Amino acid sequence: MMGAPEAFDISTVKGMKFFDPHVHMTSRTTDDYQAMADAGIVALIEPAFWLGQPRTGLDSFRDYYSSLIGWERFRSSQFGIKHYCTIGLNSREANNESLAEQVMEILPLFVYKEGVVGIGEIGFDDQTAAEEKYYRLQLELAKEAGMPVQVHTPHRDKKKGTQRSMDIALEHGLDPYHIIIDHNNEETVKEVLDRGFWAAFTIYPFTKMGNERMVEIVKQYGAERIMVNSAADWGISDPLAVPKTAALMKMRGLSDQDIELVTYRNAITAFAQSGQLDEADFNAQIDLTEKFEGNTILRGGQQPRTDKSSIIIS
Amino acid sequence: MRDDHIRAVKEIIGAIVKNNINLVAEKWLEDFILATDQPAQLAKVFVMLPRKTGKLPIAITDDQQEALQAAGFSYIRNWTIDRLARVWLLAGFDQGDKELFFSTINRLFLSAEVNEAVALYSALPFLSHPEIWEKRCAEGIRSNIGSVLEAIMENNPYPAAHLDEAAWNQLVLKAFFTEKNISLIAGLDQRANLQLALTLVDYAKERWAAGREVHPQLWRLVGKFTNAEIFETLKTGLQHYNQIEQRAIALAISESGYQPAKDYISTFPELKLALADGSLNWNSFNP
Ligand SMILES: [Zn+2]
Repeated sequence: MMGAPEAFDISTVKGMKFFDPHVHMTSRTTDDYQAMADAGIVALIEPAFWLGQPRTGLDSFRDYYSSLIGWERFRSSQFGIKHYCTIGLNSREANNESLAEQVMEILPLFVYKEGVVGIGEIGFDDQTAAEEKYYRLQLELAKEAGMPVQVHTPHRDKKKGTQRSMDIALEHGLDPYHIIIDHNNEETVKEVLDRGFWAAFTIYPFTKMGNERMVEIVKQYGAERIMVNSAADWGISDPLAVPKTAALMKMRGLSDQDIELVTYRNAITAFAQSGQLDEADFNAQIDLTEKFEGNTILRGGQQPRTDKSSIIIS
Repeated sequence: MRDDHIRAVKEIIGAIVKNNINLVAEKWLEDFILATDQPAQLAKVFVMLPRKTGKLPIAITDDQQEALQAAGFSYIRNWTIDRLARVWLLAGFDQGDKELFFSTINRLFLSAEVNEAVALYSALPFLSHPEIWEKRCAEGIRSNIGSVLEAIMENNPYPAAHLDEAAWNQLVLKAFFTEKNISLIAGLDQRANLQLALTLVDYAKERWAAGREVHPQLWRLVGKFTNAEIFETLKTGLQHYNQIEQRAIALAISESGYQPAKDYISTFPELKLALADGSLNWNSFNP
């Protein structure tokens, strides 16, 4: 069901606020941040994932986690977007067991940090025994920390992988209301919702969900416990997937209330269970301005926005 | 002498912390202080602290403020409770084993998120064995994160007291680059030096070449070192007829011992007058 090319008319969603609960900003540019802010994205979650190639030592994990709560959080704040993250050992790299063992040791140091809203993204890729082992260990960590879990479901053999992810989470005594099952499709959505989990959908060109299909899913299943994300990363992906999907939903006649739930409110409700996500913080804007008395507005590496339509670069 | 001084400040900070947290948080902190395995527990307590203390700006009594003022730490009143409590926690942590102390706190630096890093650098003046943190402080100046730089550069007595000249000059130069509040740099005038003056003069010329303005406080660090070469640059600045820049350069020259520059200033009636009536001082250039 491919639609004819249609221009993204941002004016249809002007004034709406969006939350992208799954986007890998580490691999995106500042232009993306600017476009996201302009399109109404006020907050996002960056799940810890792999970088397209495996890391070879513990220090590169440590540096990566540190960048999620440090530099990337700051960079985002410069565009008025509140940046949260989830911390975890991703499924692909769970297969390097000697390294995975070391990563598990430093994870507790990171999961309690401010602005860490869950354990994620964890789960299955190849569905190997090692992946299962570290998925279980991290579920235990989530239970101990009282954190939501963001579950990455595999591309291959997705239906079985999704079922298995849910079974194991329940086996460990976790509340499905604390668990966000990601990258759903038409084949998985019903069971995820029926079992009481959150169902997240990734609007990602060619490989995952298209947003026309997304509209149909919300029409069929309603807006409760469903959320939309971009999962934009180093691949061909779109950091505006959430506002674009909202615009399409609007054009296709979904109610404003349902659109707000799946592109903003539901993700907040789910991840606020960490105690580390406060909607009031979204409006902090560029938060370095108010710290001390008598200082200028432009501080600390902040730059004024440049006029991109101008050929003159000063 | 320094130790007694810092100890007194730590005591005031402890009292402020206590006044600004609830009983549950107080008990939680006390448990940590009494723990026999503090080094093992420090990381978790340090990280989780805001969950116990909250993050509100601190309230402070007049007496406390007066005492802090006298000790040179009045800036603390602008902090939030999590920042102050973290600093206090680190300030009281020393177990006597210098190496363990270093490795335990250094580990916190290695995995710090933004607010943690701010607290860690804010704590430098209060840490035991101040000399062992010099490299860490110099490393912090390389940060790209505004609030982390502010914690090091603004109202922090550690850098001026402990950094070598190269690192100090880097701090000042970077403060101009990243548009920090220059007048909040502790020890700014005391640690002015010729090398820094020359670097700043080059920086000013670069700004002019790019058609950008020069921060007036920059000249404050140049004046004392005016020589024939620097004087040429000052003349260029005076001829830009940017009033703020002119006045700053005039003030800088008035603090120099270089007579040709002083004579030159006399040829600008407006500047001569401003210097004569005493209305010109470095605070008048703050935004
Ligand atoms: Zn992802």
